Amino acid sequence: MNPTLKAFIKKELIQTLRDVRMRVLLFGAPILQLTIFGLALSSEIKNVKLAVFSQPGDTAAVRLADDFYSSGWFKPAAFSPGEDPFELIGSGRADAVLLMPPGGLSRAAGRGEGKMQLLVDASNATKARVVEAYAKTITARAAAAYGAPAAQGLSFDVRVLYNPAMESALFLVPGVVGMLICLVTIILTAMSLTRERELGTFETIVSAPLSDGEILLGKTLPFVLLGLVVFSLVLTVAHLAFGVPVRGPLWQLFLAAFVFIITTVSVGTSISTLARNQQQAMLGGFMFLFPAILMSGIMYPVENMPPSIIAAAYLDPLMYFMRLLRSIMLKGGDPHVFWTNVGALALMAVVAAGVAYNRFRQTLN
Amino acid sequence: MPGFAIRTEGLKKNFGAVRALRGVSFDFSEGLLHGLIGSNGAGKTTTMRLLAGLLKPSAGSVRYSLDGRPAEFAQVRPGLAYMPQQASLYPDLSIDEHLQFFRALYRLDAATYARRSKELLGITRLDKFRERRAGQLSGGMYKKLGLMCALLQSPSVLLLDEPTNGVDPISRREFWELLYALAADKILVIVSTAYMDEAERCSRVHLLDAGALLASGEPRAVLKERGAANFEEIFIKGANG
Repeated sequence: MNPTLKAFIKKELIQTLRDVRMRVLLFGAPILQLTIFGLALSSEIKNVKLAVFSQPGDTAAVRLADDFYSSGWFKPAAFSPGEDPFELIGSGRADAVLLMPPGGLSRAAGRGEGKMQLLVDASNATKARVVEAYAKTITARAAAAYGAPAAQGLSFDVRVLYNPAMESALFLVPGVVGMLICLVTIILTAMSLTRERELGTFETIVSAPLSDGEILLGKTLPFVLLGLVVFSLVLTVAHLAFGVPVRGPLWQLFLAAFVFIITTVSVGTSISTLARNQQQAMLGGFMFLFPAILMSGIMYPVENMPPSIIAAAYLDPLMYFMRLLRSIMLKGGDPHVFWTNVGALALMAVVAAGVAYNRFRQTLN
Repeated sequence: MPGFAIRTEGLKKNFGAVRALRGVSFDFSEGLLHGLIGSNGAGKTTTMRLLAGLLKPSAGSVRYSLDGRPAEFAQVRPGLAYMPQQASLYPDLSIDEHLQFFRALYRLDAATYARRSKELLGITRLDKFRERRAGQLSGGMYKKLGLMCALLQSPSVLLLDEPTNGVDPISRREFWELLYALAADKILVIVSTAYMDEAERCSRVHLLDAGALLASGEPRAVLKERGAANFEEIFIKGANG
């Protein structure tokens, strides 16, 4: 490697890693954020208070109630059989009430009419939707386990793929990994370049007999390397702490991360050319990050967004990285998904790096 | 050392509506220790940046020559060292780490680096503090480190923008002794300063006021010509006149 580049990388790494606070921010914060996001952004709902109204001797209803309670999502609500189910929910003593068909589930299922009624407290719509989904999953499983003719009477048709337990961590953690890499690389790069300008050291570097490309590479390569290190770190934590699998090949994962990091470091560089100080650089970084995160599909599916936002989302590198992470980690890395999204990211990396180089040159001049 | 000279003609630099330099002509060809003297906002830093090739003039020109022959900026650039006003150092890097980084910037080979760094650490008496970070150095030591980084490449022209600003009198004197030693080595040194007493330490002075050149020449000759006892008087007369 070119000795000047090597010296730049060494200098940047010393500057970034020497300060204990910086080390904590760089390596500790992503782990903490991953843990908090992984837990707090959970769409998984547990301990739902469920009251199952059934007639004495209805063995199918008792078995189904046991299935609900043993799932870990539901727990029995305290009630007495004569109570009003609506009152139970209204008072908050139950989050959901499952009402068996007239004559009992055993007889109704035998006739192929196992229509139950599920009352759900929808004051929290998200929770209600999740409870409904849980109930469908459990009933479908139960129906499959009981076999015909009981199965015919249970009209749920729910299939959950890749995340059969519907663990939100599996869905959210890859998203959070992408978000953290974006955050670390953009903010660090933007702030490092503006810090150099604030310190006045930029003038010294610029007055040295170096080419523009050498200066730009020297200032950005260290952050590409640091981004890959942080990526490996959060990936390990995601795997060990949240049990997120890596079903696809590692090379796909790292190639995707490498291309993505080039894009984000280039974005950080462009931001630094517009910012006059580190505060502005940080603010600029967040101005990019918030919409990028919202449009990436980490939290809400892109398909549910209005057409104009969907169009804008196609310019969001995080969206492609998100798709790649979920595809490689959860689904084993379909080659078509991989190459289309890596291709799109590579194109963005080239454009972003080109813009960054031009902006950087303008700043130098 | 090659004979270096810099001349400017009608140099102007505007930043929007601000006219930082209003057509000044300098001659940095005679004498080796030039002082660019002026109060804050006089245009000293702008001049330094123009000489270092960091800014392009709005009008006028900067001409370099090497051994009496005109030279392009690209030709003189490897021999030109610039120390900005803030002495531009990294607070979290040690003296040694600074020297190693600047060695890479100037692409010095191992033998040259070993010789130069030893020499400079000795001259500046910073050899005992090699592991100390720049952020922990005193004002004088900090400036000396800045100077050392600029000198590592053995430049032929040294541009120092207010190098003694905020430095205590003893460290200032030591710093000037270093500059005399450099000038004795035939290095063209151009120092900007707002301290009027430092003007007398230079072999040539160029007095700048509000972007215009008040006077230029050998310090005593300038004082005599202006009928002033000291340089402050010239600036006060200039401001009143």
